[in-house]
Amino acid sequence: MTVAVPERAARSSLARYWHSLRLLATRDLRVRYSTSFLGYFWSILDPLVMAGIYWFVFTQVFKRDVGEDPYIVFLLSALLPWTWFTGAVGDTTRAFIKEAKLVRSTKIPRTIWVVSLVMSKGIEFVASLPVLAFFVIITGATVNPNIVFFPLAIILQGILTVGVGLIVAPLVVFFRDLERAVKLALRFLFYASPIIYGVTNLPSQFHFWAAFNPLSGIFSLYRGAFFPEQLASPDDWFLVWVSAAMSIVILCIGMLVFKRTIRSVLKEI
Amino acid sequence: MTQSDIADRAAAAPQTAVISVTDAGIRYRRNRRARRNFKDLFSARARKTRPGEFWALRHVTFDVQPGEAIGVVGRNGQGKSTLLKLVAEVVLPDEGRVGVHGGVAPLIEITGGFVNDLSVRENVYLTAGLHGMKRAEIQAQFDEIIEFAEIGDFLDTPYKHLSSGMKVRIAFAVVSRLEEPIILVDEVLAVGDRAFKEKCYNRIEELLAGGRTLFIVSHSEKDLRRFCTRGLYLDKGQLVLDAPIAEVLERYNAEYGVK
Repeated sequence: MTVAVPERAARSSLARYWHSLRLLATRDLRVRYSTSFLGYFWSILDPLVMAGIYWFVFTQVFKRDVGEDPYIVFLLSALLPWTWFTGAVGDTTRAFIKEAKLVRSTKIPRTIWVVSLVMSKGIEFVASLPVLAFFVIITGATVNPNIVFFPLAIILQGILTVGVGLIVAPLVVFFRDLERAVKLALRFLFYASPIIYGVTNLPSQFHFWAAFNPLSGIFSLYRGAFFPEQLASPDDWFLVWVSAAMSIVILCIGMLVFKRTIRSVLKEI
Repeated sequence: MTQSDIADRAAAAPQTAVISVTDAGIRYRRNRRARRNFKDLFSARARKTRPGEFWALRHVTFDVQPGEAIGVVGRNGQGKSTLLKLVAEVVLPDEGRVGVHGGVAPLIEITGGFVNDLSVRENVYLTAGLHGMKRAEIQAQFDEIIEFAEIGDFLDTPYKHLSSGMKVRIAFAVVSRLEEPIILVDEVLAVGDRAFKEKCYNRIEELLAGGRTLFIVSHSEKDLRRFCTRGLYLDKGQLVLDAPIAEVLERYNAEYGVK
């Protein structure tokens, strides 16, 4: 048995960060899938049912003049990313509370508690993309070269979601009310974001303000792959640029908030 | 300890210290209701103590050389566990510095990383991984870990179905297997049956013989005498004595011992 202090190559901190991140993200997924019978299907069932409802309401009940055809593809191309965003932000409100015991006993970089949540929901999002592909095929929607922006949209959304999580996670530890406030804000944001409608459907006086919802530009990037009109005019690209800038600004604010509050968070939990 | 003493010590301390704590202090709120506002939260290291706060530890300075075994002594609530957490770097000091040079195997809340819904096998990989072990290293040691915990029949049982004794056994087996040069022990050994407790003690002695540095918090005089060479006596958040363990225990007993 070896008990002497071993000489082993110290891994770079980045490698360790990545290693811990992967462990936690896979742990989250494993726990979710090992305890439920339907496992993976839950991650697509939720957006699918919602998409079914909106599709029914807006194409069968109301006379729809928002969005584009085929509406189900239009819906899903924003609803699936939204599910990622709302799921991850919702989870980060409990990041420290749920993991308190682990946070108290390991010294891995604390941002991991937020980033791993965003990552595991992100993996579920990517795993739900075949559903979108399925509807693209059966409705005969066309895919255009804008699809190259799809990965960019994923990266931007990742940055934005981590940024929001880094702000929310530590503050919830001190102000528990925030947990419910965030839920409410997310519900509001669902209708304030171009998911069931497109940005162009907004009255023109709101166009400028819509750009400051970073999700607008990100959803346009996703939708561009199936609806080239979403990325046609300079206005559309203005949206994307503002979203990108906002996402990065939010990430920076998040890192700052996190850094300044972590000392108190560690004492509190 | 005066400022100049601290400076002298810092200058005299050889570069090889594995743990060096310099004038460290940490402050906690006394009650949950104390008003907290955004300004407090964001001020990184405000020096002044606000009402409703107290220093759990202050002006603590010491160095630990590799291979030393240190016992922390003091009554309840005098900052022992807080000191251990500072050394484990799971809380950060409000003033001063805590430098830990080398990996740490923290036997603090050892069952913390275990997930109820996953099997024992998955949990071993998860916890060892989070503490920095590579997959191949875990694989190589897996059998030893399981054997140590005497839990071979329950490898694929969900963790939540283990008895509480088994939970602690498997947790200790994993964390004590980490190949880190510094081991921190916080009274985890109070649990488990006698035979397993003895096994844990033997394991710690093995590790000590292998040149690890040990940092232990305990109320058991017997344990402290068994493992430690040097003692730190904490009282009212201050480090009042840093001396060989026998001397520290003597002073502690003189001040607080049962007469």
